[in-house]
Amino acid sequence: MRCSVCQVPVAEGKSVQQTVDQLHKKLEQLGGVKQGSFFVDCETYHTTGNASGQPSKLLYVMHNSETPLSCLALYEGGPYLTADANFDVLMVKLKSHFQNAKGHKVESRGARYRYCDFLVKLGTVTMSSSARGISVEVEYCACVVPGDCWNLMKEFMQSFLGSNAPEIPSVFTSKPEGLFAPADCMDTMSQYLELFSKVRKQQVLPGSSVR
Amino acid sequence: MSGENTFSQHCSWNSVFLCFDLFFIVRMFVFQRLQPVNRSRMSGSPAVRVSIESSCERQVQEVSLDGVETYVPPLSMSQNLAKLAQRIDFGQGSDSDEEDLNGESRESEWSKQNPDEEGPVKFQPCLWPWDSVRNNLRSALTEMCVLHDVLSIVKEKKYMALDPVSQDPTVAKAPQVFQLISKKKSLATAAQVLLKGAEKLSKSVAESQEQRRQRDFNAELLHLRSQWKLRKVGDKILGDLSYRSAGSLFTHHGTFEVIKNTDIDLDKKIPDDYCPLNVQIPSDLEGSAYIKVSIQKQAPDIGDLGTVNLFRRQPKARPGAQAWHSKLEAAQNVLLCKEIFAQLSREAVQIKSHIPHIVVKNQIISQPFPGLQLSISLCHSSVEKKNQRTSPDKTKPDDHLYVLEHNLHQLIREFHKQTLSSSVMPHPASVPFGPKRLRLAGPMAYDKAEISSLQPSDGLLEKIIKQAKHIFLRSRTARTIDCLASRIEDPQIQAHWSNINDVYESSVKVLITSQGYEQICKSIQLQLNIGVEQIRVVHRDGRVITLSHQEQELQDFLLSQMSQHQVHAVQQLAKVMGWHVLSFSNHVGLGAIESIGNASAITVASPNGEYAISVRNGPESGCKVLVQFPRCQAKDLPKSDVLQDGKWSHLRGPYKEVHWSRMEGRNFVYKMELLMAALTPCP
Repeated sequence: MRCSVCQVPVAEGKSVQQTVDQLHKKLEQLGGVKQGSFFVDCETYHTTGNASGQPSKLLYVMHNSETPLSCLALYEGGPYLTADANFDVLMVKLKSHFQNAKGHKVESRGARYRYCDFLVKLGTVTMSSSARGISVEVEYCACVVPGDCWNLMKEFMQSFLGSNAPEIPSVFTSKPEGLFAPADCMDTMSQYLELFSKVRKQQVLPGSSVR
Repeated sequence: MSGENTFSQHCSWNSVFLCFDLFFIVRMFVFQRLQPVNRSRMSGSPAVRVSIESSCERQVQEVSLDGVETYVPPLSMSQNLAKLAQRIDFGQGSDSDEEDLNGESRESEWSKQNPDEEGPVKFQPCLWPWDSVRNNLRSALTEMCVLHDVLSIVKEKKYMALDPVSQDPTVAKAPQVFQLISKKKSLATAAQVLLKGAEKLSKSVAESQEQRRQRDFNAELLHLRSQWKLRKVGDKILGDLSYRSAGSLFTHHGTFEVIKNTDIDLDKKIPDDYCPLNVQIPSDLEGSAYIKVSIQKQAPDIGDLGTVNLFRRQPKARPGAQAWHSKLEAAQNVLLCKEIFAQLSREAVQIKSHIPHIVVKNQIISQPFPGLQLSISLCHSSVEKKNQRTSPDKTKPDDHLYVLEHNLHQLIREFHKQTLSSSVMPHPASVPFGPKRLRLAGPMAYDKAEISSLQPSDGLLEKIIKQAKHIFLRSRTARTIDCLASRIEDPQIQAHWSNINDVYESSVKVLITSQGYEQICKSIQLQLNIGVEQIRVVHRDGRVITLSHQEQELQDFLLSQMSQHQVHAVQQLAKVMGWHVLSFSNHVGLGAIESIGNASAITVASPNGEYAISVRNGPESGCKVLVQFPRCQAKDLPKSDVLQDGKWSHLRGPYKEVHWSRMEGRNFVYKMELLMAALTPCP
């Protein structure tokens, strides 16, 4: 059920909103049915009290509307944690050890389309209320193993994204081959994290620049 | 000497007295006194001996210290005699009264005359002390003799006779009244005694009954306590008949009071259903109640809503149950019905739906399907309104869906169990209350579909409406199939309903067959899955069709399937009979358009190719059968010069329609078989 991918398409000479609308139209033409909205957000926490001068590790706490009761905490490339919604409260209590970098909150909001067994989420990535990009998440609900259905998904993505369809994400390639390695929400979240990091690293997007 | 003679004469009378011999013959004494008749007698009878003895008792003189009594020594003979002699008074005579007088006079004379003879006279007073003894004895003897003589005379009955003394008649009558009165009095006394005793007995019986009643009350109370919750508040015994301890959240207190039944007359016979215990239930729980769920055609006007007050016969109490038990059970049922109705009406008001539910008085009305009305009403009747029993609604068919009423009770009980479920505890301190699986939704990253499956989504009203819809749809489907089956005989339609079904889903397998050819023509088999609002039909050839709740759709579909079946049957029959199928089409595009479905057609040729049968069957147009003859058999064919060879006449030529209704055979396939057989010439 959880085999998804997210990426950033490039808008040629149009604003983010227009690109998103274009994609919406394409999906509807394809036969997708709008099924509400979604959002994914990510907050950054610095670890404090670090004795050595090393840069403190960043803890990312993410929420996903697909798993409304969960909270996911990730270190970049490091251990991951799936927790209850009370994890946010816990982070407040751990204020002394983890400081919230408020300016670094990234979120992606948009519409959710369903086309037979595919779930497509088109979202606008915003950081401190300025649109920074577009995220597209495609989920093939019928399969759990990413390696088996990657080709099908790529073909589907090509049908509405055209040439912007990405390659298989590194998350899936790093999985051990041959063993049954089902994908779960953590893979999705790590992909989103990559995307958000990319977005954060970019400079502020001017109105009609090319990305 | 004369004195001596007189003295002797006188002594002859007193000769006995002069005798100092104490053993004296009384006869002689009596002899002088008796009648001469007796004298002779007396002289011959044996003498009566009288012996006089002094008592032998001796006087105790003294009692010594050691208890030995010393008796006074008895007087010797001479001493005794001397003592007695001193008592003799010689101065007196002692024969009889006259002679005593005479004697006295004689003695006085004699004493006057003969003072000389004082000497011998002095001798006589020694005998006089015995005179009284002698006189007494003589009188006793006289009396005895007289008595003896009288008795002997009476025995002879010659001179004397015995007569009983006559009873005074007046004395006899008086005692009867007295007897009566005395009897009455004695009876009265006896009765009094008996009554007193009876009173005592009855008092003791009453006391024991009172004790037994008290004991019975305690025993009944124990029995009551074993089945219902009781508690003592002050001097009252209160009980709880609500479902609060079972998980209900209804705010009714449900308290009943146990009272002692003292209105029993001990003197009268205790009735069979007497119970020393009585329960007082709250006034709003009296009587009996039930929830009536019914589906009716939609009422044309909304005006007369809220007047549902049908009452069905009260269920008879179990014979062994106590009065209080049935009373408490009825009250508890009323409470549960009230809770159900409160929950339903709350949901009806709160939950938004396409067509809003109407809540009027004791009725909730909703529309499951267009043209249909589902009414859920709380029918509560108190005991006084017994006259409503004979309501005129008895003539109407009872459209009360008992299954749904039962399901409502079950659903509310499930709801109770959920509030009380032990899966809530124990729970970690950091999570809120909730079922365990929901607690895991966070850490396990459940998505929305999984979360919604965990949470109870539908309320009581929605559930019951869904169930009602399903029941209605199922019954309508069954009715449609049965209608068709009874209306159409060829082909036959069979429905096999599955025993296992859900509250929201049932299934039925529908087979369309021809009688007698079930093994050959079994290509139309439909599986109908009846859901809440739709019917899903799965065909044997794999097609899945979804029909709506309209019964016309199902009917049309079945009719089209039946017409298709006939053509399929011809196809199968051809295989069996050895005929060749030339063409077959389920949905022909030629001919008149059918309003229901499509017509199907088939053409089969005989084994030797001479004949061909064409069948076109439509749901509305019926079946049309044409037979193609070889040219040589057609009479009205123009002879042509082009065809020289005779072999061309064996080709099939014109068609002729068969009067199918006049064919022999009970159904289509049979007729077809006969036709085929007729067109196949014998080898």
